[in-house]
Amino acid sequence: MNSENKFADRILVIAYGNPLRSDDGVAWQAAEEIRRKLAFLGEVICTHQLTPELAEDSSRADTVIFLDATGNGDPGKVVCEPVSVERLQACFSHHLTPAQVLGLCKQLYQASPRGFLISISGECFDHGDELSPRVVSAVPQSVALVNDLLRRLKSSSNCCESQPAIV
Amino acid sequence: MAERKTIIIDPVTRIEGHSKITLHLDEQGRVEDARFHVTQFRGFEKFCEGRPFSEMPSLMARICGICPVSHLIASAKACDALLAVKIPPTSDKLRRIFGLAQVVQSHALSLFHLSSPDLLLGMDADPAKSNLFGVLEKYPQLARDGINLRKFGQQIIERLGGKRIHPAWVVPGGVSNPLSQEDRDAILQTIPEALAIAVRSIVWLKGTMERFREEIASFGNFPSLFMGTVKEDGGLTFYDGKLRIVDASGHVVANRLDPARYFDFLGEKVEPWSYLKSAYYKPKGFPDGIYRVGPLARLNVSDRCGTPRADQELAEFHELQRTAVLSSFHYHQARLIEILYCVERLEELLNDPEILSKHVRAIARPNALEGVGAAEAPRGTLFHHYKIDEQGLIRWCNLIIATGQNNLAMNRSVLQVAQRYVRGEKLTHGMLNRVEAVIRAYDPCLSCSTHAVGQMALKVQLLSRDGDVLDEVKR
Repeated sequence: MNSENKFADRILVIAYGNPLRSDDGVAWQAAEEIRRKLAFLGEVICTHQLTPELAEDSSRADTVIFLDATGNGDPGKVVCEPVSVERLQACFSHHLTPAQVLGLCKQLYQASPRGFLISISGECFDHGDELSPRVVSAVPQSVALVNDLLRRLKSSSNCCESQPAIV
Repeated sequence: MAERKTIIIDPVTRIEGHSKITLHLDEQGRVEDARFHVTQFRGFEKFCEGRPFSEMPSLMARICGICPVSHLIASAKACDALLAVKIPPTSDKLRRIFGLAQVVQSHALSLFHLSSPDLLLGMDADPAKSNLFGVLEKYPQLARDGINLRKFGQQIIERLGGKRIHPAWVVPGGVSNPLSQEDRDAILQTIPEALAIAVRSIVWLKGTMERFREEIASFGNFPSLFMGTVKEDGGLTFYDGKLRIVDASGHVVANRLDPARYFDFLGEKVEPWSYLKSAYYKPKGFPDGIYRVGPLARLNVSDRCGTPRADQELAEFHELQRTAVLSSFHYHQARLIEILYCVERLEELLNDPEILSKHVRAIARPNALEGVGAAEAPRGTLFHHYKIDEQGLIRWCNLIIATGQNNLAMNRSVLQVAQRYVRGEKLTHGMLNRVEAVIRAYDPCLSCSTHAVGQMALKVQLLSRDGDVLDEVKR
């Protein structure tokens, strides 16, 4: 795994989900691996849901990588896609989407970090703090995907925006 | 003969949890009764039976995602009583820091995220815009202040407890880890900005009061008792002290009440139409023993805050009325004064020479079979009462939550607002929002008080005398 501390961008990783709902906590586990293997990367936040306060954190980053579990797709599938800013409409402020966090970031802090969402397909969202076997294997995949994303950002700042990575 | 009708507001929006409001009309279409129904049920008191008492703080923190710290503290204090230990002085101070940080973040959520749309955009604003995001379009600095203030509190909680939600750092006998110098210094660096936000927010809020004279007059503006915890010198406290009750004229009705004997003077009544129990002051009976808790009550019972800026604001607050400050609309201002106090007090505690001590936990086995822990949560006084067996397993548990203690007052406030603003069989947004806004003033946490899972939602129903639904508004 590449762990060279030579990346100039300020990277923020925001992992969200409920670690007591089995595969919904996969992002937290991936975040722990990112902290361990990509220590050079910068700040890693684990949270239950996206709230307005994260806009301020995001405003201090050049790139924000959101990690989340999804109920769609084959279990264990990992997908990376760019996040575009969404103008905020009427919504409940307890939980936001990644696009809304970046929208809030732009509106309140006049900052426009690049955003990417890495979605990991889960299988079981029942009570529990363990991942399904197929989802366990997605953890190293998502870490590798983050590393690959950073490598590509380093070589070309917009590569992922034009061509979302899919693993 | 004309029919009696009922208006139902279901769900109530911009609060923590699920509820509905029913407004009962007489034959002339005037509101004759109103009820605030809490429609969610949890049952923490029951399913913790049989668990080891040492698990209680962590289990109880799961009651709420907004104020887990209050439950942690009250629960740990109940467990301290079971251990019959005096916790180390530094852990006492660290718990205070933890609690104050939570009051800041919870009050900021209530005022800036939930109630500021009413205060800034007006009670009659377009409901599609009447939210934090509507505020940030027109008042971005205020929205930033709210977000930053909440973050300030959350970061302290995260630094001490390891995470923002459901931290498990407060344990029976103290806290699990000492405060590091790095974390202490990092928190201290954030104090000046938090203080500046608190000061300018109070200036802003006081400047808006003139526009809300009608609401101040009708939003829960009635005589009641007020209860809160005070220090020996009558000063404001969130962690420890004795209970004081004052009446509407501001006179002390009861003083130095031991929170561990709450059952001697507080009763709870179950109503068939709500999962939320109604607490009352026993000597006055039900429902005359109606009392309020939370920021408004705490400031009504406190002689002083004990920090310079907050004391100035408290003195001004007490000037609002010669009696106790009665209107629940003033919960908002009280909340900001408490934020100011918390920030000032946090700075004092973080500069305490003992605060970095490594001795933060007393270890013991259970030495008592019954224990009560009480603390001032953001929304008011919180009691945890446990009984255990010889093996240390929970045999009985009772939780009295602030929102339940405000239940009678919230119901009376809804009635007062509805009688002032609701006319006829059709609801307008302005009417509906005012009925909701008075509930928001109390900042009820229904997840806590029903000891909820899922989305918050408000329904208002208009019912005929026979109970038929004539009109219904849902959000």
